[in-house]
Amino acid sequence: MYRVRALTTLSYLSPMIIGVGLISLYPILYNVYISVTNQNLYHFRHYTFVGLTNYQSLLKTVDGDFFIVLLRTFLFVAICIPLFLGLGMLTALALNHPAIRFKAFWRVALIVPWAVPSYITALVWKFFFNGEFGTFNQLYRLVAGPHAGLPWLSDPNWAFASIVLLGALQSIPTDLYEAAAVDGATAWRQFWRITIPLLRPAILPATVLSAILTFNTLNTAYLITTGGPFISAAKPGATEFVMVYAFREAFQLFNFGYIAAFAVVIFFMLFGVTLGSLRFSGLVREEAR
Amino acid sequence: MRVLSRVGVPALIYLFLIAMLIFAVFPVFFVIQAAFRPGQSLYSLTLSLWPDKPTLDNFTYIWTQIPFPLWLRNSLGVSVGTMVAGLIGSATGAYALSRFRFAGKQMTLILLLAIQAFPSVLALIPIYLILKTIGLVGSPFGLVLAYMSIALVFCTWNLKGYFDTIPRDLDEAALMDGCTVGQAFWRIILPLSVPALAVTALLMFLTAWNEWVMASVLLLDENTYTVPVGLWGLQNDYRVPWGYFAAASLIVSLPVMALFLGLQRYFRAGLTVGGVKG
Repeated sequence: MYRVRALTTLSYLSPMIIGVGLISLYPILYNVYISVTNQNLYHFRHYTFVGLTNYQSLLKTVDGDFFIVLLRTFLFVAICIPLFLGLGMLTALALNHPAIRFKAFWRVALIVPWAVPSYITALVWKFFFNGEFGTFNQLYRLVAGPHAGLPWLSDPNWAFASIVLLGALQSIPTDLYEAAAVDGATAWRQFWRITIPLLRPAILPATVLSAILTFNTLNTAYLITTGGPFISAAKPGATEFVMVYAFREAFQLFNFGYIAAFAVVIFFMLFGVTLGSLRFSGLVREEAR
Repeated sequence: MRVLSRVGVPALIYLFLIAMLIFAVFPVFFVIQAAFRPGQSLYSLTLSLWPDKPTLDNFTYIWTQIPFPLWLRNSLGVSVGTMVAGLIGSATGAYALSRFRFAGKQMTLILLLAIQAFPSVLALIPIYLILKTIGLVGSPFGLVLAYMSIALVFCTWNLKGYFDTIPRDLDEAALMDGCTVGQAFWRIILPLSVPALAVTALLMFLTAWNEWVMASVLLLDENTYTVPVGLWGLQNDYRVPWGYFAAASLIVSLPVMALFLGLQRYFRAGLTVGGVKG
């Protein structure tokens, strides 16, 4: 760490500061401004200042869209975390079992999902879940007879479960695979007494990160179900998570002011979690030195 | 009992790994077989794992009958633009954040963290409205600006994280010996960071190359589409032209997948530092 002249500091920082200020920070501040206007499809050019109306309509009723969508997303994340963590730990331990050969092969093969673009994955899974021609129902018909079929995406509860399963499988923190390999794990008692405590530094940040990624799910849900199935036009669909809702409200219904207020509230929640987890892992304190 | 634990446990573990492998690799296999499948034979009520008469028709079709080559060129331009601008814009700033002592440093870091925590889907709304006002919706340049809003912060974090791991004694000793701050940056820090620069560049390239949400909102005309928007536009709720979609997917994603899997060890740090963005 060295002291340099203020001018030098400024000249090194300025490209990044100016760039970030103009194209990252300014839109966020502009978003706060839109959130207190009534800009929407009908008032696109001639919108007016409406104070906190958007925030009020967001938070006024407990059974409003905001809370429905938020609770559903929390539920989604809450089911996904133990699933992806459990699967991730199991895989990490399995990969490290002395009887398993070709470990390098398995390790690379199992992170393939991270390398496939999500819009391709989404279309493939949409097809797998397809009621008539989908692979799952093709397999199901082998056991249940030629006219059988499960409502993978057409029934609200089934659709939610399908997306949960897919979301959990996709957000397995693969960092664990490497971490477990270093630490070694064999017997059950060793697992609880030694491996888990040793893995904790790797598990915690990976879990927070995967949880935030899951919370921010857009592609997996939107491209497969577009947030549906919808029971009534006035209520959010069964897989309409926070980002899906924001995307639909903004770019299909053009409720810009309303969704800008929504964005502000969601941002404070996410920033709180990020800051909390970083403080917890000591990163912020280290930076302060 | 002992036989069970000697044979049974490994068998169970293999079963589990194979189940995970099927999840991981079957979608990729599915795309590969669909790419070589003629016509609409995928739409069948019974399971068929490999086409009876594999064909290259799908590849010829996408290359000659739809503007796929044009989309490839657009994607390449947008991705390279994002990558280069992101790196150039962030490198010196990351260096200052890693090495200089100055007032407001912690403020800057927390601000960067806050921006990073703002999900890109939500940031897309004001970006869209601003670009609309200055008439850049529909232009690839506007899309690059939108990607840059993610890229600059991401690259700054990533590079700062790497610069922090380079021993400070190195450049401090050089400064003692009379080298300037600029020389320390150009002659010592940058050459030592080539792997990190390469990985950050590649991650930025991949993000832009695979991005669908922003591109689908900000690009309006078929001639300016990037590959993800163009490909997704080929299908609708009733029909997916699987052959064309799969053939095109293979062309755009196999090379980058190979790069990703080949270099995944180096990505690890990058994924955890910058991955908070949705």
